[in-house]
Amino acid sequence: MSSEAVDYDAQVAAVREAFEREFERFARFQGGAGTEGLSLGEAETLLRELGELRTRHTAKKSALAQLMKLIGRVPAEERAAFGQRVQALNNEVATKLDEAQAALDNRIGQLKVERERVDVTLPGRRPRRGHLHPITLLRQRIEDIFVSMGYAVEDGPEVETDFYNFTALNIPELHPARSPQDTFYTTDGLSLRSQTSTVQIHAMQKRRPPLRVVAPGRVFRRDTPDATHNPMFFQVEGLLVDRGINMGHLKGTLSEFVRRLFGPDTRTRFRPSYFPFTEPSMEADYSCFKCGGAGCRLCKGSGWIELGGSGMVHPNVLKAVNIDPEEFSGFAFGLGIDRMCGLMYELDDIRLLFENDLRFLEQF
Amino acid sequence: MDISYNWLRDLTGVSVEPRPLAERLTMAGLAVDAVHEKGDDHVLEFDLTSNRPDCLSHLGIAREAAALTGAQVKLPDLTAKNVEGRAEQFTAVEIEDPNLCPRYAARVVRGVKIQPSPEWLVRRLQAIGQRPINNVADVTNFVMHELGQPLHAFDLAKLSEFRIVVRRARAGEKIRTLDGVERELDEQMLVIADAARAVAVAGVMGGEETEISDATADVLIESAYFDPQSVRRTSKLLGLQTEASYRFERGVDYEGVRRAQDRCVALICELAGGTATEDAIDVYPKRITPPTVRLRPRRVEELTGLKVSAEESRRILDSLGFEPAAGEVEDGELTFGVPTWRTDVRIEEDLVEEVARVYGYDKIGEALPPSPVTGEYLVGDRRRRAARQVLTAAGSNEAVSISFIEESSGVDETGASRFELLPGLQQVEGEGAWVALSNPIIEGARLMRPSLLPGLLEATRHNFNHGTRDVRLFETGRVFAASAGSDGGGESRPVEVESFALLVTGEALEDGKAAGRPSDFFDLKGALEAAADAMRVGALEFETASVRHLREGQAARVRVGGREVGNAGRLSEELAARYKFRQPVYVAEVSLSELLAVGERPARYTPLPRYPGVSRDVSLVADRRVAFGEMRRTILSLGIEECRGVALVDVYEGANMPEGKRSLTLRVEYRADDRTLRDEEVDAMHARVVAALEGEFGAQLRG
Repeated sequence: MSSEAVDYDAQVAAVREAFEREFERFARFQGGAGTEGLSLGEAETLLRELGELRTRHTAKKSALAQLMKLIGRVPAEERAAFGQRVQALNNEVATKLDEAQAALDNRIGQLKVERERVDVTLPGRRPRRGHLHPITLLRQRIEDIFVSMGYAVEDGPEVETDFYNFTALNIPELHPARSPQDTFYTTDGLSLRSQTSTVQIHAMQKRRPPLRVVAPGRVFRRDTPDATHNPMFFQVEGLLVDRGINMGHLKGTLSEFVRRLFGPDTRTRFRPSYFPFTEPSMEADYSCFKCGGAGCRLCKGSGWIELGGSGMVHPNVLKAVNIDPEEFSGFAFGLGIDRMCGLMYELDDIRLLFENDLRFLEQF
Repeated sequence: MDISYNWLRDLTGVSVEPRPLAERLTMAGLAVDAVHEKGDDHVLEFDLTSNRPDCLSHLGIAREAAALTGAQVKLPDLTAKNVEGRAEQFTAVEIEDPNLCPRYAARVVRGVKIQPSPEWLVRRLQAIGQRPINNVADVTNFVMHELGQPLHAFDLAKLSEFRIVVRRARAGEKIRTLDGVERELDEQMLVIADAARAVAVAGVMGGEETEISDATADVLIESAYFDPQSVRRTSKLLGLQTEASYRFERGVDYEGVRRAQDRCVALICELAGGTATEDAIDVYPKRITPPTVRLRPRRVEELTGLKVSAEESRRILDSLGFEPAAGEVEDGELTFGVPTWRTDVRIEEDLVEEVARVYGYDKIGEALPPSPVTGEYLVGDRRRRAARQVLTAAGSNEAVSISFIEESSGVDETGASRFELLPGLQQVEGEGAWVALSNPIIEGARLMRPSLLPGLLEATRHNFNHGTRDVRLFETGRVFAASAGSDGGGESRPVEVESFALLVTGEALEDGKAAGRPSDFFDLKGALEAAADAMRVGALEFETASVRHLREGQAARVRVGGREVGNAGRLSEELAARYKFRQPVYVAEVSLSELLAVGERPARYTPLPRYPGVSRDVSLVADRRVAFGEMRRTILSLGIEECRGVALVDVYEGANMPEGKRSLTLRVEYRADDRTLRDEEVDAMHARVVAALEGEFGAQLRG
C-alpha cells in the first residue's frame, strides 16, 4: 500500500469512537430516560457539559467538521460511500446530542415546576374587609325587591305625634297599645313610633294615589330585652293604594316577594287576623326555607314561618288622609326585619344584633 | 286559651276530628297554636286576636266551628230543678253608676251544701287547666268557660242587709280580695258593695269577707256587664289581671248575662242542692241596642277578589248569627243586625271579612297589581350605599346601636353635653335640650341619642372587654335634639338628623393589610375622605378646631364647600378615661343629612396630558404649627398656571430637629398643555414656590 493510500473508513471510525467515548456518560439519557434522581443542580451541570461536548464535536473546527470538508477531496469513486458514512455519523451524533439534551431539558423543566409548585390551599392574600350589618344586608335586599316591583322607598320620623302613631291608624283612644306600658313616650308627650305604619300616613299625605311605597326603619316597643326581644327593632312597611285593588293583589305581592327573597319554590299561606289599621286583615306565612315545609326546629315543626301582618287599608285610615275609600282601595303589610334576620342566620340571641361585637359582625 | 274538644263536641255535635278542626279554625282566623291529647280528650291551645272576646269560651268557639262545618250550636239546659220565691224577697240591687255598670243581675240559691264537685266537672275543669275548689265556685268557673260570662258567688248571709250596691269606691276605701291582699281603691274604680262596704272589685275579683265557705248555705249569683275601659283601668292600676277582668275588659255579651246566670243556678241546684229563686233581679236601665251594618254584596269582590254570591254571603253571615234586618234590598244592598257578642263588627268591611274568612282566604286568587307607577329609592340612597361599600372594603364594620343611651353618657354632671352636636341640632344646654323618655325600659337609658358616638364608644368598650383591640366601626342613623321652636308646647317634633359616625382604634390597616403601627388621626381622616369621595360630595376640608369631645391639637372641624358638616379627631382624655380606654381612639361624626344636601359632584373629563410633567421636591423646616394645607393653598394660589398639584412626600419630626419644628417634603408637579417644559422654566417656577414658602411661613430650605 502506498503512503497515499488513505483509509477513509478508519477516519470515520476514529471520529465516532472519540465521540462515543466522551458521550458515554450521557448515553443513558437517550430516549428520554435515565434522568430520574438527578437534582436540579446536577441536571443543569450535565446540560452545560453536554453543550460543551456538542461544541467540541460539532463546531467548525471539530473532527467531524473536518470529515465533512474532506468529502469533496475524496477520490470520486469513493466519495459517495464516504459521504454517506460521514453524513450518517453526523446525523447520529446530532440525534444523540439532541435526545440527551431533550431529556435533560425536560428534567430541568420538571424540577423547576416542582420547585415553584404552590400549595393552592394556603390562604389567599386578600385585603381585610369589613362587613355590613346583617340588618342592612337584609334591608337592602328587601328594598331592591320592592323597588323592582315599582315601590318607592319612604321614610318618616322616629319620634311621632299621637296622630301619626295611633289616631290616623284607627287605634282608639284607650287602646292598650297606646299605654306607656307598651309605647315609649318622651317627656314632651310624643311617642317613639311603635310601627312603621306611621309612614303610611306621611306617604299618603305626600303622594296621592295611585301610590306604592315601602318604608323600612326602626320602631320601638317597651319590651324588656331578652333572647327574643329588643325594645328597638326594624320593620318594613308596604303600602299600595289604587283603584280596584283587592286581597288577591296583596296575596300575589307577598307571594312574589317571598319567592324572590327565599327562592322560587317558596309557598305562602294566608290566615284571617286582626289589626286596627286594616280590614279585612290577614297574617301571611311562608314555607320554611330550611326544611321546605316538612317541619323542623326552625319552624317549630309546622313547616310555616310567620311573615307578618297585612290587610286592606282600613277605610278610617284612608279617610284620615282624605282619600275616598269608595274610590280607592289599597293594601298594607308590615314585616319584621330583625325577626327574619334571626331566623335566616339562626341567631340564638337577638340582642347580638345591637351589641356590635366584631366577632359577630364579621360573620356576615 | 285552652278549649276542650269533648266539651266543644257536646255544644255542637261537630264530627270533625280535633286536628283537622284546629286547622279549619286557624284558617278562619282563630289561631290554634297546638293540639294536645289529654286522657280521652284533646285540648286546643288558642292564640286569639284581641278583637274576638266572644271566642273566649267554648260557646264562642262552638259558634265558629258550627259555622265552618255546618253543625248547629246546642245551648245547654238552663232550667233549675227546685224553684221557689222571688229574688226580691231575699235581696235588692241598686246601680249608682249605670255608665260603668249598664247591667247587673242577681239571683239567689238557698240551702246549698258546699262540697267537692263531681268527677265529670272536675275532669272538664282540669282538661283546660283549671283547679277545682268546691261545687259552687267550680260551677261559676265552669259556666264562664262554657258561655264566656264571668260570674261571682257571694255568701248571702255575709252581705250587710243582704243587698247589693254597685257604686264607685270611696276615696281611700280598702278591700281584701280573694287572694288575701288588701287593696286600696280610688274613686274612679267600680265596686260591688253591700249596705256597709265594698265586697268585690267589679269585674276583677271578689272580696275575702263574703267568699263562699264550707258553712255557706245561701248564695247570691252575680252576672253583670261592666264597662270594658273601667275594668281595664282598675285591673291595670291594681296590678290584678284575672280571667274575669280579661273578659270584661274586652267586652262580654250583654245579652248573655241572664243565660249564664240561669245555667249557673241550674247547675248549682243540681250539684249542691238548694232552691233557686224563680227569677232574678235584673237591673238594666238602658237597653243596649246592637248596631246594624249594611253590606253591598259587590264589595266582597271589590275588596277580596272573591266571587261570592249575595245568597252565599247571606248564608255565611246567618251561620255566624248575623240577622238580616227588614226593609232591605235597594240596589241589592243587605242590612244585618250584629250579634250582641260581636263587639268587633261595626262597618261594611268587617262584614266583608266575615264572609271572606268563612268562605276561605285560600280561595282568593293571587295576582300582581297593575303597575302605573315606577320604583324609586330613598333620595341619596345610592350614595349611602356607596359610602358603606367603600368603608367596608377598607376594613370597617357596620354597627347598629340602640337609639337610646344612658343620660350620663351623653350629658355631664352640670347638664352640659359631653359631645359637640352636629350642625342642625340645637346647641342648647340643660334638660330641655334633649329628647328624653318618660318611661325608659333599660335602666338609665333615658335619652334619645343626640350623637352616634356614645353608641360606638360603648361598642368599643364591649369589644375591648372581649379581647378585640383593633376596632373600626361606622354607623348611620338618626340623632335627636329638641327643636328650637318647642317652647310653645303643642305637637312640635324634635329635630332628627341623619348622622354618620366612624371610629378607629388599634392597629392600622394599609391597603387592607396590617400596617404594623397604631392607627392615628390620618387613618380616620382617610376613611372619612374615602367615604365622602364615594358619595361624590367633593373634597372635605379639615380645619384645626377645638371640639368638646376631642383632644386639643388632634381635632378638626370638617366642611364641604365651606359648609360645616361635622368633626373628627382623637377622643379627649376625659372621655377616654370615662370609658377606661388605654389606647388612643379616633372618632368622626358628620351630618349625613348635610352631606346628602351637597349636590353630587359630577364626573367631568379633562383631556389626558399630551406633554410630560416634571416633579420637583422641596424639603423645608418650619414651625410645627404651620399646616401642610396652608402651604399647599399658598402654592396653588401663586397663579402659576403650569403648577398642577402639590403632594406630601414626607413629614419628619424626630431627632436633629429644633424644638417645635418639623421638616416637610413636598412634591410639586409642573406641566404645560402645549409643550414640554424646559428645565429653566421649571427652575424659575419652582424658585417662586420656594420663595413663597420661605416668605409666608418662615420655612427654611433643608439641605
